[in-house]
Amino acid sequence: MKVFTRSASARAAVGLAAASAIVLSGCAAAAEPEAAQEGFEGQTLTVWFPGTNQVEIDLVTGPLKDKFEAETGATLDVTFVDWGDLSTKLNAGFAAGTAPDVFGHGPAAVADFAINGRLEPLDDYIAGLEQDDIDDLSAALPGGTVGGVQYLMPLSMQGNLIVYDAADFEEAGLDPDAPPTTWEEVREAAEALTVRDASGTITRSGLLLPSQPIGRQQSFAALLASAGGSQLTSDDLESAFASPEGEKALEFYTSLFSGDDAVSYPLGADYINAPAAQQPLVLDTASMTMQTPNGANQIIAAAPELDLRIMDAVPFEGVDEGYTLGGSGPGLILNADSEVKDLGWAFIEYMISPEISAEYVQGIGGVPTRASAADTDYVQNSPVLQAFVANSSNFLPNPNVPGWVQVRDALDKYLEQALNGVTSAADALAAASPEIDSILESAR
Amino acid sequence: MSVNSVPPAATSTVAAGGARPPLPRRRWKRQHVVGMLFVLPAALYVLTFQFVPVIYGLVLSFTDYTPLRRGGPDFVGLENYAGLLTDPEYGNALLVTGRYVLTVLPITVAIALILALLVNRPFRGVGIFRSALYLPHIVSLTSVSLVWLWMYSQNGLVNEVLNLFGATDQLWLLDPESALNAASAMRIWKALGSNMVLLLAGLQSIPNELYEAGRVDGAGRWALFRYITLPGLRPMLVYVVVMDIIYLSQGFAEIFILTRGGPLGSTTTVNYLIYTEAFQYNDFGSASAMAFVLFALIIGFSVLSVRSLVGRQK
Amino acid sequence: MIFLYLLSFLVLVPFMWMISIAFTPEEQAFGQVALIPTDPTLGNFETAWIDANIFRAMTNSAIVALTVVLSNSVIAVMAGYAFAMLPFRGSFAVFVTIISTTAIPVSVTLIPLFLMARGIPLAGGNDIFGQGGSGLLDTLAGVMLPYLVLPMNIFLARQYFSMAPTELAEAARIDGAGEWAIFARIYLPLARPLIAVVAVFSFVGVWDDFLWPLVVTNSAEAQTVQLALARFLATGNIQYGPLMAGAVLATIPVVILFLFNQRAFVSGLADGSVKG
Repeated sequence: MKVFTRSASARAAVGLAAASAIVLSGCAAAAEPEAAQEGFEGQTLTVWFPGTNQVEIDLVTGPLKDKFEAETGATLDVTFVDWGDLSTKLNAGFAAGTAPDVFGHGPAAVADFAINGRLEPLDDYIAGLEQDDIDDLSAALPGGTVGGVQYLMPLSMQGNLIVYDAADFEEAGLDPDAPPTTWEEVREAAEALTVRDASGTITRSGLLLPSQPIGRQQSFAALLASAGGSQLTSDDLESAFASPEGEKALEFYTSLFSGDDAVSYPLGADYINAPAAQQPLVLDTASMTMQTPNGANQIIAAAPELDLRIMDAVPFEGVDEGYTLGGSGPGLILNADSEVKDLGWAFIEYMISPEISAEYVQGIGGVPTRASAADTDYVQNSPVLQAFVANSSNFLPNPNVPGWVQVRDALDKYLEQALNGVTSAADALAAASPEIDSILESAR
Repeated sequence: MSVNSVPPAATSTVAAGGARPPLPRRRWKRQHVVGMLFVLPAALYVLTFQFVPVIYGLVLSFTDYTPLRRGGPDFVGLENYAGLLTDPEYGNALLVTGRYVLTVLPITVAIALILALLVNRPFRGVGIFRSALYLPHIVSLTSVSLVWLWMYSQNGLVNEVLNLFGATDQLWLLDPESALNAASAMRIWKALGSNMVLLLAGLQSIPNELYEAGRVDGAGRWALFRYITLPGLRPMLVYVVVMDIIYLSQGFAEIFILTRGGPLGSTTTVNYLIYTEAFQYNDFGSASAMAFVLFALIIGFSVLSVRSLVGRQK
Repeated sequence: MIFLYLLSFLVLVPFMWMISIAFTPEEQAFGQVALIPTDPTLGNFETAWIDANIFRAMTNSAIVALTVVLSNSVIAVMAGYAFAMLPFRGSFAVFVTIISTTAIPVSVTLIPLFLMARGIPLAGGNDIFGQGGSGLLDTLAGVMLPYLVLPMNIFLARQYFSMAPTELAEAARIDGAGEWAIFARIYLPLARPLIAVVAVFSFVGVWDDFLWPLVVTNSAEAQTVQLALARFLATGNIQYGPLMAGAVLATIPVVILFLFNQRAFVSGLADGSVKG
């Protein structure tokens, strides 16, 4: 294990020879910056990345791979797997013992792998990082832990914020420079912004929150946290959403879509995953929509003529802080059965090193994990990233508990019933609570 | 190649058994053995690569198993099946699947039969028509589902066309009343070509002499269809119906893209549930139990439909 | 005839949209309802060709599909013939068992099949017990594995031959012909529509399959056409233009195969299918 000085590998990976020379001079183990790392020659590291973003594929399988291979002398075998197919491939891989050494996944999936002993704890490896590094990553690291043990090393941060059309605000007599600061004000603004045709059908939604499968749970989680509630108890053992805060959040959410004063239409449509040119903001079928940083960037690129702005996360009245869903994004995980764990960690460390991390995050249009990245040109020159970085403490992750995917889907199902008026908000949450408690119990 | 190994084997069997019994019986026995030899390569292959995985799945259905866990499956007896009995979602999925099959199957087969009869004539450009009608079957389900997703969207083609007739916009895939029908319409479109081609091949297998004899006897077009075409088409019709039942009751990819099982579970087919259970919740025991209940129903309905199509066995 | 024109047009409408989107710049995809793109582009085809390396993937898929067509046309058709023409004691039970395997969703059989593909003896560095190597994983042979004999083709052949006249076989037997000769020289040539259907259906089945190639392959070298297209299906970022361009490209070989084969459907009625 100690053959390889970990912090050195990350630094040595940096393309700038001068910079690495300075760092490396302090590290006895890696005396020659250009030489291959001892012990890794001839080894092959298999890595599966989630997603099929062309920019990311070109970046990782091109320059990042070349640099890493030159650095370590190892061979890097990277496969990109779309999110929808990742679980299928991993199940087959773990069943047959052919799972990759390192794979990427979202924080929500980590607990199920961890509880089955499939993941290598990263704590010892992280302890080998320099304290400055650990501090720099401090916002990202907690999102990759299960039961206090670090299993996932996040590569980017995620968040959701409301993007609004300033021209629509002015037209409706609202001040785009003073956007709403509570959900109640958001609702008021949305009512002013909503446009209906002669038959009363909404032709422009004042506000759109995601209401498609999975999106429902995400919208509800944001509203719940902004009302001061939480999805699970603090020990993650039981549900906690069947509360006055939960009812308030769900009633607010439901009322957006129903009644004569509805401000959102249509219920259930998946605008988040629509192409940028078909986004409600671009088509002028909505004035405010919840977006991810990548989504916001793509919309702005698709409709440069629009004056689009980003609203800070807002709370309900009487609550101090507003929250939306976010936090640590997808990251890398080390397979406990890997025969080249040190090489696997070397790759993870390489990916989170400041320069590589910056290159990667910029490539995928995401939010950086390192606090120091706030000073990079990438963040400085982008109002979207500025807003998302500024709100980073207002992004709350979903709980990292075993059985989470099933919990999420079960909650989603009951939320859908409330949204469609099949049950009341209180009944939906009361019915969801025992079902989710039993899923949580059987998954432990 | 295994193909070439069959004839010598066949002839040697004939020679070996050829001495004693009288001719009809010898021939009967020889055909038996040759029949088995003809079936053997296929049977061995299917046994290994189709049947064994199915048996493995059957075993899993009595266990608690996730590939993520180290160690093998834990035997739990009938627990997974008992769980299905009290699972309202599974019951709902069975109903949705049944509705889906019963909507798509009759319409597809009826239209496909009419089309097969129409393009079973040698006229100029018949190949173009056949190809055009067959095209939907060629294009991957995922790609066409995405096209239909857009056609059904609020300002998509379906609403644009209906607007011409004065109808108001409908949210086809977001309304629990219409979502399954919308998915069915797509699947009818997709299945039309393959059914037509099969029925066309079936029509081709009917000996022309039968029609000639029929005409000599003065039979009209309807009589020819009723007494020669339909009975002659029966074996292929059985195939088409059974195949449609099996494929349609496993509908998944189109649901995944069009509706993700929603709204309000109105398009959650059994196979969608199985996929979720296995690959989202990593619960292969319960997914396998779901699959074998579906399996029993598919076989049951296939046998029923074969019975009703064939009538009395000859 | 009007019905035929009308229906053919209706059937083609979604396909016309695919082609239209394939030629539409990505930014405008699914924009206004316009059958003819206002700014037609070949950019999507270029993306599909280069980014997804669709030519390589199509070559892989073609190798797999043609092997599958060949093996099914012989092994599956032969078995179906025997079930119809040379039934033996218990043959119906064997037949029903074979067919029933198709009624189990792939989700359940995927992992056992994957374990088997990995454990094929003497392949991919495996020893005689199927241990030690990767078997057929990440090879085209591994992709072919589940399709080489498709139960549905056996069923199809049985149904087809069950309508064939038995007099020919009886006459040939009296003339002393062996059973193989009767099958290969008399019935197989008569079954051109059947072979055409088996060929087209097997080809399409393999060409369009996604889940099995997804789990059995990893490297770009073994990618099949649907895997290559899946690159444009990224969750949350579907690239409609390149996807449809790729789908159109991927459709061309199958259309050619079909056009070539559909003549087999004409022969029967025009010539008189059985010349006794």
